[in-house]
Amino acid sequence: MADRIFAAITLLVVMAYGWAAFMLIKAPFQYDPLGPESWPRILSVVAGLCCLWIIFKPTVHEFDITKNSLVRIALMVGLLIGYAYLFEHMGFIIATALYCGASVKLLGGNVKQAVIFGVVTSVIGYLVSAKLLELNVPAGVFKNLI
Amino acid sequence: MDVILSGLGQGFAVALQPFNLFLVLAGCFLGTLIGALPGIGPINGVAILLPIAYSLGFPPESALILLAGIYYGAEYGGRISSILLNVPGDAGAVMTTLDGSPMAKRGEAGRALSLSGVASFVGGSISIILMTLFAPMLAAFAVKFSPADYVALMVFAFLSLAALVGKSAVKTLLAAVIGLMIASIGVDANTGVMRFTLGSPDLMAGIDFLVIVIGLFGMAELLHLVESYARGTLKTLPVDKTFVSWADLFAVKWVMLRSSLLGFIVGVLPGTGASVASAVSYGTEKRLAGESGKSFGTGDIRGLAAPESANNASAGGAMVPMLTLGIPGSGTTAILLGALLLFNITPGPLLFEQKPEIAWGLIASMYIGNIALLIINLPLVGLFARLLTIPQQYLTPLITVLAFIGVYSVVGNPFDLYMVIGLGVLGWILRKLEFSLAPVILGVVLGNLFEDNLRRALSMSGGDWSILFQSVNSWALYGLAFAVVALPLVMRYFKRKRQASAV
Repeated sequence: MADRIFAAITLLVVMAYGWAAFMLIKAPFQYDPLGPESWPRILSVVAGLCCLWIIFKPTVHEFDITKNSLVRIALMVGLLIGYAYLFEHMGFIIATALYCGASVKLLGGNVKQAVIFGVVTSVIGYLVSAKLLELNVPAGVFKNLI
Repeated sequence: MDVILSGLGQGFAVALQPFNLFLVLAGCFLGTLIGALPGIGPINGVAILLPIAYSLGFPPESALILLAGIYYGAEYGGRISSILLNVPGDAGAVMTTLDGSPMAKRGEAGRALSLSGVASFVGGSISIILMTLFAPMLAAFAVKFSPADYVALMVFAFLSLAALVGKSAVKTLLAAVIGLMIASIGVDANTGVMRFTLGSPDLMAGIDFLVIVIGLFGMAELLHLVESYARGTLKTLPVDKTFVSWADLFAVKWVMLRSSLLGFIVGVLPGTGASVASAVSYGTEKRLAGESGKSFGTGDIRGLAAPESANNASAGGAMVPMLTLGIPGSGTTAILLGALLLFNITPGPLLFEQKPEIAWGLIASMYIGNIALLIINLPLVGLFARLLTIPQQYLTPLITVLAFIGVYSVVGNPFDLYMVIGLGVLGWILRKLEFSLAPVILGVVLGNLFEDNLRRALSMSGGDWSILFQSVNSWALYGLAFAVVALPLVMRYFKRKRQASAV
């Protein structure tokens, strides 16, 4: 069932891709026998056939995951999205400290470990990447301090 | 021969520059560590560190030397956790657990580690020598390839990928086509027409290669680690004082030689890397051992030497088609190829002539790296053994931080951070459904090359598709493609027949 659902969703995406390739993409003028639309057309047909094959002959029937793991994954994805948001808006140090602390807590560490790891990683990470390696990392709210 | 010697000379001149020498050693050390940590393999390690190496502004040959060092270093390191934890450090070290872990359990961890270290060295050395000999020849031959021949080569590459990688051929093919479809997003270089950009300016230049790699290999791996976290704490066996003897090495000399050759060949085949190489060589040695092969799986030194020689040999083998044809021989070399493309260098037959410092510099650095790895891996193995027990709760967030720094510092677009997370979830689901991810990245890397050559071939013939079947080269490649697809089927048929008659 898991395979069939995935293949069906992929088939829908492939059909949208194929629809665009067959109906929308067109070069205003071209000299070559194959235009920008030909290659995507071939791909959409091959991908569509593969999806149909999987729908008819699936190999994975159960999406094998425990409820606990699923909750943990969902929480981790939530943390990642939060990290991405804070990374942009509050800068590397605060975002990293919060994210690292929260992940350690999520993965079974205690509060003390979480706080120490979060602070150490964010500060050292910022100094190494922004100062030592001169990478482009957002300074955020500490822009004027460091 | 002269070409090879002068090329090597030039290569060593590059590789022995102090900065590059430092990068070789750093790459090998990091690689061994990444290989040794359970869960993170060479492909994830290279993916996570690629953007950082890129944004540090190294010259292309230096970046490649570093990333390649991580790649073949990880093939060494994978054995450490296989032997001490009974958990493979990466996919290529799965077979190493079968005989390595029983040896460690009966108090021969030191012997197992040193023997597999030497086997890795033999595999690595043989494959580098073969690479030195064959890569320039293949490049000289491939210079004459026409666009139609390239199309045939691609067909061969994707069919052998489907036949040899992953559990289901159709799924592997679909994964590769998904990669090709991702590559087709963005502005068409020939006509300037927008394709599948959905009107979004963020997609006009296509999805950035780094974003795809970090998402599919960094983030998906991270989610996989989070999922499998509940298994409790792992316990390492201590590294004891036992050491490999000359008699041991003498007993496995042919095993190492055969497995190295086999590993090299599997490595050269497009898309198949260390995991296929070690599985094939383990199976072959077990069969060749005959009656005495029954001890395989209970701590037989032959069963330890075979996969370790093969997976290291495959790393060198996989570099050959990447450098000479622009077609990666494994998932990790696909990322290395993408790294070269980021530097605006297109690997292919002309690389050896036009950019000898890259092609030969890399080869020379591998000679140095392989010796360095032997030294790192024999006396220092205890250090890596201690690092194995870094708790997952710290390792997982560190992967994220490295990935985010990498994506943000190269692309600098917050949109891509969300894209990375989305691709990570997609990659995790694909893995759960037994798709392999390496074909996706091969598709992404090869998409433009495949399409360009097809279009060029057809514009040469004025739209006549029969041009694809006109040269001897293309026929030979279609023949090889057919053989790769048909052989496993034929072998399965005979095996079934033999089993049926045995009953």
